[in-house]
Amino acid sequence: MSKRIAASFRDPSGFMFEHKGVIYRQINKSYQADYDTLMESGLYERLTRAGAMIAHEEVDAALAPIPKLAYKVVKPDPIDFISYPYEWCFGQLREAALLTLAIAKRSLEFGMSLKDASAYNVQYFNGRAVLIDTLSFEIYREGEPWTAYRQFCQHFLAPLALMVYRDVRLSQLMRVNIDGIPLDLASALLPNKTRFRFGLLTHIHMHAKSQKRYAGQMVDKDAIKVKMNRMALIGLLESLETTVKSLKAKMVNTGWTDYYQDNNYSEDAFQAKKQVISAFLARIKPNFVWDLGANTGEFSRLASDQGIRTVAFDIDPGAVTQNYKQVKAKREKNILPLVMDLTNPSPSLGWHHQERSSLAARGPVDAILALALAHHLAIANNVPLLDIANFFKDLGSYLIIEFVPKTDSQVKRLLTTREDIFPDYTQSGFETAFCQAYKILESKAVVGSERVLYLMERGIG
Amino acid sequence: MHIHFLLKPLTYLDPGTGSFIIQMLMAGLLGGAVAVRIYWKKIVAWFKRKKPGEFEDADPTAIPDELD
Repeated sequence: MSKRIAASFRDPSGFMFEHKGVIYRQINKSYQADYDTLMESGLYERLTRAGAMIAHEEVDAALAPIPKLAYKVVKPDPIDFISYPYEWCFGQLREAALLTLAIAKRSLEFGMSLKDASAYNVQYFNGRAVLIDTLSFEIYREGEPWTAYRQFCQHFLAPLALMVYRDVRLSQLMRVNIDGIPLDLASALLPNKTRFRFGLLTHIHMHAKSQKRYAGQMVDKDAIKVKMNRMALIGLLESLETTVKSLKAKMVNTGWTDYYQDNNYSEDAFQAKKQVISAFLARIKPNFVWDLGANTGEFSRLASDQGIRTVAFDIDPGAVTQNYKQVKAKREKNILPLVMDLTNPSPSLGWHHQERSSLAARGPVDAILALALAHHLAIANNVPLLDIANFFKDLGSYLIIEFVPKTDSQVKRLLTTREDIFPDYTQSGFETAFCQAYKILESKAVVGSERVLYLMERGIG
Repeated sequence: MHIHFLLKPLTYLDPGTGSFIIQMLMAGLLGGAVAVRIYWKKIVAWFKRKKPGEFEDADPTAIPDELD
């Protein structure tokens, strides 16, 4: 039984579907000429060899769920975790923007143009941004403007500019606006000094004005004598590229990035903690791990350096940025840093609540790491320990979790500004709560600290 | 160019028209800029060697060295 992927309905050129647990793409007859040009012009070969686009293989067209429309069925290389722009740090969104522009420019050399510039068509795979939509190309017709211009500005330029000139947290506007940030909103939110930047003046402020002025009117394309020739199109793409490249985020110290330097356990305890986690990982041998509250990914790398696919989530964009910089500098392939507030994780969004998946819907995975996290959820956010256990249980089969007692300086700090209304927050209270969702396989005290690490397996109790 | 003569009323609001028009308005300017940039690059290239870019600004569609 084949099932169309719910997010894949906007493009008449084809759609994604699932068949026996494998993801395929039906390519419709209406897209035949464009698809053949993509494959025969050398563009596909060029982009996939460069690692800029996901590769696919053509399979039996009989798999097509809607045979009367089908031209071909292809099986793209699988991506193990789909992430969204509102989960990326500034650098990741910027990389995806530059990838999109580079592909648009490269396509012209092969007689094609990139007709979509959706940030959702870019995914992180093997440590880099990759275009995943094979149907984003069309045969280039000299004189036509860039169809994806508005989408590029809404999905990339507007959020990037807002993150640089207002606040890095404005990336979250992407979560509210499914098709990118409306340009009139971006224009209203950006400070006036951005009007003195040519790229932002034209591509956001004047663009927004132009949209408002001509809203409700239709262009008679045949009557327009001025054509957007190839040189002008390249000029547009290069102007966008220059604008994106000029956007560099200021690093704001959010208090989390110094976390490892700024706590009370010694270097010995830190190493001891690493050894215990590595031993737990060696025992359960997971293929896929989510590290929740990963900070800059120090402990996530105990998994990813062993070849385990790892997603490292943290609430702090600064920590995620540092993690991402490390991924790029060391060309790490197995770790994906993402911004995630676990007290309000990414929900299902879009049409029929199905276009973008919630965090939980993208799991469960083999193992969850929750190191120095539970006390934040329990004490700073008042979540009962049993609720924390049940949340983790939905996300993964195994759990490696650290218990940090009230006597630890980190917990003391959380309690300085509030009343201690957490009588159950003790090691035995913690074990009692978690044993209702998990079976404890192993527990180890972290030598040189008062903390305890647990390896648990779900479903028992 | 007299844009107004080329427009017909549309029954629904479509921000695409404005996006289309601003590109057309900028077309000459941007095309000219590319031509200037190409010549300028050639002039600059005479005087200095290219600095290696930051990792993130490398061309993502370039074939990696190990495959070339």
